[in-house]
Amino acid sequence: MRETLLFVAFFIVILIVVYLYRVIQGPTVFDRVLGLNGISTKSIILLVLIGTIYERVDMFIDISTGYALLNLVGSLAVAKYLEHRGSA
Amino acid sequence: MIFPVEIFLLLLLVITAGAAILVKDLISAVLILGSYSFFLAIVWAWFGAVDVAFVESVVGAGLATVFFLLTLFVTAPKDTRIHPPSPPWTALIGLPLLGLLLLYAASDLPKFGDPASPASVHVSPVYLENSMEDTLTPNVVTSILMDYRAFDTLIETVVIFTAGIACALLLRRNRT
Amino acid sequence: MVVLASVFIFLGLVFLLIAAIGMVRLPDVYTRSHAVGLTDTWGAFFMLLGLALYQGFSLNAVKILVVLILLLFLGTVISHATVRAALRSGLKPWSKVQE
Repeated sequence: MRETLLFVAFFIVILIVVYLYRVIQGPTVFDRVLGLNGISTKSIILLVLIGTIYERVDMFIDISTGYALLNLVGSLAVAKYLEHRGSA
Repeated sequence: MIFPVEIFLLLLLVITAGAAILVKDLISAVLILGSYSFFLAIVWAWFGAVDVAFVESVVGAGLATVFFLLTLFVTAPKDTRIHPPSPPWTALIGLPLLGLLLLYAASDLPKFGDPASPASVHVSPVYLENSMEDTLTPNVVTSILMDYRAFDTLIETVVIFTAGIACALLLRRNRT
Repeated sequence: MVVLASVFIFLGLVFLLIAAIGMVRLPDVYTRSHAVGLTDTWGAFFMLLGLALYQGFSLNAVKILVVLILLLFLGTVISHATVRAALRSGLKPWSKVQE
């Protein structure tokens, strides 16, 4: 099971590369925001996965909660900011 | 277990850092730096440094992105695209040499998690053996920061709190 | 329990893969928000549900479920806010007929 979880973590890292392509390439700023949102979701899953692999989920789960909340604050700030000024 | 997930993560770190420098738009550079912080926090968590990962995710990915964006919102003109000047040739030659020198020096460092390295034989065993019965805290890093070095942490918090008060006093808007 | 967890994790992987394909292939922000807001959220849902089942009944499983509920709200709220900002800043939706 542990090897399977390692494989799953590896797969998610590859998926993060796909989202990173959208963050770097994306024609508008909103594409980058959406890509960043996807990356943060993958990061939360990856943190819980790493905790499961190390069998110390109790340490890692608190960080992922903080991640999720801060992601909300950051993305809403970006959205508010872009809504005010228009975009390029 | 040797599994090269962390090598891919470090590669992603290099890619995001380069992209944040090379991208033309300031907002995009800020967002790419946010993803850089995410990758860095995952690398810390992969190596088991949970506290550092937490600080990196809170400060780097959350607060720094919001502060950068607020600064851009207040200061930057409508068109935030930048035209960077070409770097001087001394930097192009000197910085790779410095990097090679640092890599050469890094080959002398002890291995990751080596129990015989100088950092883990001096005072670390004392803390590791006594922290549970001294402080009744399962996390050793927390017990060192909050118990053995409590005054240090307290004064650090006072300094940061003072800085925050000063910023709030200087930057507040006068509502007349 | 472990078999059920594996099934859920595999289902989450499939959803995440579909979301990643959509992220690359879809033409503009409004369509890509479906990939992030819907498919990605479902992928995370199944993934974390599988990991919580893998933990068994414990405090950690409950914490993972809390993160899961947070993610269910956050992914949709953020994609909605982003798309609304895009619409208000005057970005035209993609259409098959390019005028």
